[in-house]
Amino acid sequence: MSKNKKGMNIQAKQQRAGWIFLAPATLMIAVFSFYPMIQAFITSFTTGTGVNTKAADPLNYNYLRMFADRTFLRSVGNTFLYLAIEVPIMLILAILLAQLLNNKDLKFRGLFRTMVFLPCATSLVSYALIFKSLFAQDGLINQVLVSLGILESNYNFLGNTGSARAVIIIALIWRWTGYNMVFYLAGLQNIEYSVYEAAKIDGANGWKTFWKITVPLLMPTIVMTVIMSINGTLQLFDESVNLTKGGPAMSTMTMSHYIYNNAFGQGVGKFGYASAMSFFIFILVAILSAISMKVGDNRD
Amino acid sequence: MTNKKNSSAIQRRLIPTYIFLIIFSFISVFPLYWMIAAATNQSVDVARGKITFGAYALDNFQKLTSQTDLWGALGNSFLYAVVQTLVALLICSLAGFGFELYHDKAKDRVFSILLLAMMIPQVATMIPLFKMVSAAGLLNTVWAFILPSISTPFLIMMFRQNSRNFPIDIMEAARLDGLSEFQIFFRMYMPVMKSTYAAAAVITFMNAWNAYLWPKVVMADTRAQTMPMLIANLASGYTTDYGVLMMGVLFCSLPTMIVFFVLQKQFAEGITGSVK
Amino acid sequence: MKKKIVSLLLVGVLAMSAFVGCGKSSGNSAKSDDSANTEENTAAKMYTSDDENTLTVAAWDANFNIPALKAAEKAFQKENPDFKLEIIEQSQSSDIENAITTAAQSGNYENLPDIVLFQDHYIQQYVTNYPDAWQDIDDADIDWSDFGEEKLSFSTIDGKHYGAPVDNGTVIFAYRVDLLEQCGYTLDDVTGITWDKFIEIGEKVYNETGKYLLSMDGSGNDLPYMMLQAEGVSQFKDGKANIADNKTMTQIIEVIEKMQQKNVLLLANDWSGYTNDIQKDKVAGVMNGNWIIPTIEQVAENSGKWEITSMPTLSGEEGYASNGGASLYVTANCKKTDLAKKFLAYTFGGGDGAIDTYDNALRDGGVITTCISAGKSDVYQEGVEYFNNQAIYAKIVEMGSHVKVVEQSDYHYTAREKVAAAITNIHNGTSVEDALAQAQQDLEFAMEE
Repeated sequence: MSKNKKGMNIQAKQQRAGWIFLAPATLMIAVFSFYPMIQAFITSFTTGTGVNTKAADPLNYNYLRMFADRTFLRSVGNTFLYLAIEVPIMLILAILLAQLLNNKDLKFRGLFRTMVFLPCATSLVSYALIFKSLFAQDGLINQVLVSLGILESNYNFLGNTGSARAVIIIALIWRWTGYNMVFYLAGLQNIEYSVYEAAKIDGANGWKTFWKITVPLLMPTIVMTVIMSINGTLQLFDESVNLTKGGPAMSTMTMSHYIYNNAFGQGVGKFGYASAMSFFIFILVAILSAISMKVGDNRD
Repeated sequence: MTNKKNSSAIQRRLIPTYIFLIIFSFISVFPLYWMIAAATNQSVDVARGKITFGAYALDNFQKLTSQTDLWGALGNSFLYAVVQTLVALLICSLAGFGFELYHDKAKDRVFSILLLAMMIPQVATMIPLFKMVSAAGLLNTVWAFILPSISTPFLIMMFRQNSRNFPIDIMEAARLDGLSEFQIFFRMYMPVMKSTYAAAAVITFMNAWNAYLWPKVVMADTRAQTMPMLIANLASGYTTDYGVLMMGVLFCSLPTMIVFFVLQKQFAEGITGSVK
Repeated sequence: MKKKIVSLLLVGVLAMSAFVGCGKSSGNSAKSDDSANTEENTAAKMYTSDDENTLTVAAWDANFNIPALKAAEKAFQKENPDFKLEIIEQSQSSDIENAITTAAQSGNYENLPDIVLFQDHYIQQYVTNYPDAWQDIDDADIDWSDFGEEKLSFSTIDGKHYGAPVDNGTVIFAYRVDLLEQCGYTLDDVTGITWDKFIEIGEKVYNETGKYLLSMDGSGNDLPYMMLQAEGVSQFKDGKANIADNKTMTQIIEVIEKMQQKNVLLLANDWSGYTNDIQKDKVAGVMNGNWIIPTIEQVAENSGKWEITSMPTLSGEEGYASNGGASLYVTANCKKTDLAKKFLAYTFGGGDGAIDTYDNALRDGGVITTCISAGKSDVYQEGVEYFNNQAIYAKIVEMGSHVKVVEQSDYHYTAREKVAAAITNIHNGTSVEDALAQAQQDLEFAMEE
């Protein structure tokens, strides 16, 4: 009896220890993420700047304005375009690379893995600068394409909408494929080799094993990378700012970039409006993450 | 004999794989090679797209050190990134340990709420965060730099996932030996989880080193500036010297690459645990 | 080896944990106790100096504004030998704007220097929105009548003077006279001409030399603003957007498109592309605020080949405009207001001190005064070797007096961005009418509160 009671005490003590362990991190997230977000939410119901700040009229003015704002809607369109093209290409490439690198017969695996991952080690500012000079009108890419006869004369990649978007997408794929590949590679290494052996005996070919075994077993990792990619792409900022400044004619601008411009960019501090748009992104990311979690679950 | 033949047959079948990997590796590494080559060339040659090494490395380096406070910025970036990595690793691993090994319904619910923080756009929280940091008198200090990014849902999640591999039986044994819960964490959990720490360290160090938007707001003083700020300044003057700029970019990229090289093996192991 | 590194890391984590523990307890114990206070002081010290004879100032552009401030420091040291000016260099003007915004939004000004250099086009709205961030200098010992009306119209808010005018943004049109001659023209042939005539000459120059007679940054687009101001017209009318129904604007946009088609105008993707084009010797003419002169002078081998004149206009009169000037403002964080006012009045406010400041500012960086009396000094009459010994500075001061005052707006840069987008869209096939109508709508939308 008394022993039992003591046991419970120990358990309660352990539970308390658990709370103490997670308290600092939880408190910090509450203070440095949730509290500012609530502040921003309150701000999203105001208009004006500084001493001229006042309650919005009507209260949801900033939220209504958003859907009448052509530039904002275009930035939403741009961001989703990046999302729709870049994320699938990047993740498929990453899975493919991981699958290839997981082959035990392959030589120089470590070297290949390192090279594919290296782009992640460059800072966002640096890689934007590197790509900007590579794709400049008299930059290296133009010279190569002209000397190979693919282009007749130097093309202004960053000065035309279609090609500027393409450069952003290429830059993103370059920067992040290796990062995602590492997660897939790790996921693949957790799959027992015997599972594949069994499949081989059953006569399954490469594609079949890939779809029937690899993909389902990798699903948690895929869901994780999809959520990370959605999150990252919807908050895309540096590439838009540093590569194209959102141009030409604001045709490559992302949502975060437009929000930044409204809060800081052109001296017209529309903090209420910027906060409202941020909330829009927050909700979008949450919805898309929830959907990808659901899809991942169903296949499981 | 047959074995050898077999393996050469396997290698032959792998040729397309090799070709694909070589092409992809080339694409991955080429811009970095170009960065290094550009750092050794004159501005004019860089603009013209010269891809071979030049003789201006020393020249560019001297210009860089005379025009900017390179060592100061490198030192700052190191200080901030190392402090952020150490503090973040400690706090997030404690939380991951707590969430997984002491888990119950309430803690699981707290965890899923914390995950929401991952989806908050940085632009939205900048002004309120600045208010807090400046009210605390921390502007231009390392604390202003690290505070918002010490505790991240991603790191907590990573430690939580990896903690599943931590053998609970050992904990029970340790408790019987009279170790406190904290002693278990520091003496047993930390050493066992070292590859997770390595992976988390690589990711945190890179994020801290590459941070730009937030530091630009709170580290207004030139004496507190970081490497990404330094190279952004190099690129935004009235006249850009591309050779010097690329030398700066090189100095900004080397430390993260070195950290990755050194911790590469542990990094891979740590990530493996987190996707189990 | 690698194991060692990991264990080192772990030791570090442990050491840190002890350190953090200490930091926390002292931070918790009392917010107002000594440790918290010293931290606050060191943070504040970085920006304003404790020394009673030292002022701090934030400014951008190491080749232009910073030498002017150094010249001012030297000049004022004659008056006050102990005086020191600490210059905090910024990469661009928006760094200072953002610093003011974040400080004012949070009500904490301790991160600001005593004085900031601030763009003329932005100051009105920053003073209106954040009145607490500034201190006016209305009672400083400055003879305000010694400045141009257009320049003062920016820094005077509600009848009070807030800024000490510094650089003069008077637009110059610099031409490579050697190339003009090669095509059979002189500087006189490009002075006081219509834009149509300009295009005719530009075409010939491009065909014979392969160089563009005009280039510009296509994203920021200073070009339509300057061309419009030379006509005495604004992008705003009675506080409202004035783009679509603005006939002058339509004509100007058509000229710009024609110039692009005929290889007279080279539009770069961004600012660095624009300055690169100048430095790569791709252009035979440069038109911008006179602060562009140091960029032109970077190409040493073209020394003596340039001369400056006024802008073309639609009617063929000589055109005058002003683009991108700045002034010095005292922030709320400045505790030594009297010293700041004395310094600004002596060095930038007219009289001997101003002559001293501007003579050196001109020699070292090319900053040109907006102070009328300082512009009469001998240095301004000297010929400049790079510009074929033309007395360009006297010419610029003279041209500056002809600049027409046009309506300004808080949305100046927004308007420019929308017009720039219109120009891009027109070049890609949209009709002028549609593109300008959209720019008008977008600007009206942005101006809604």
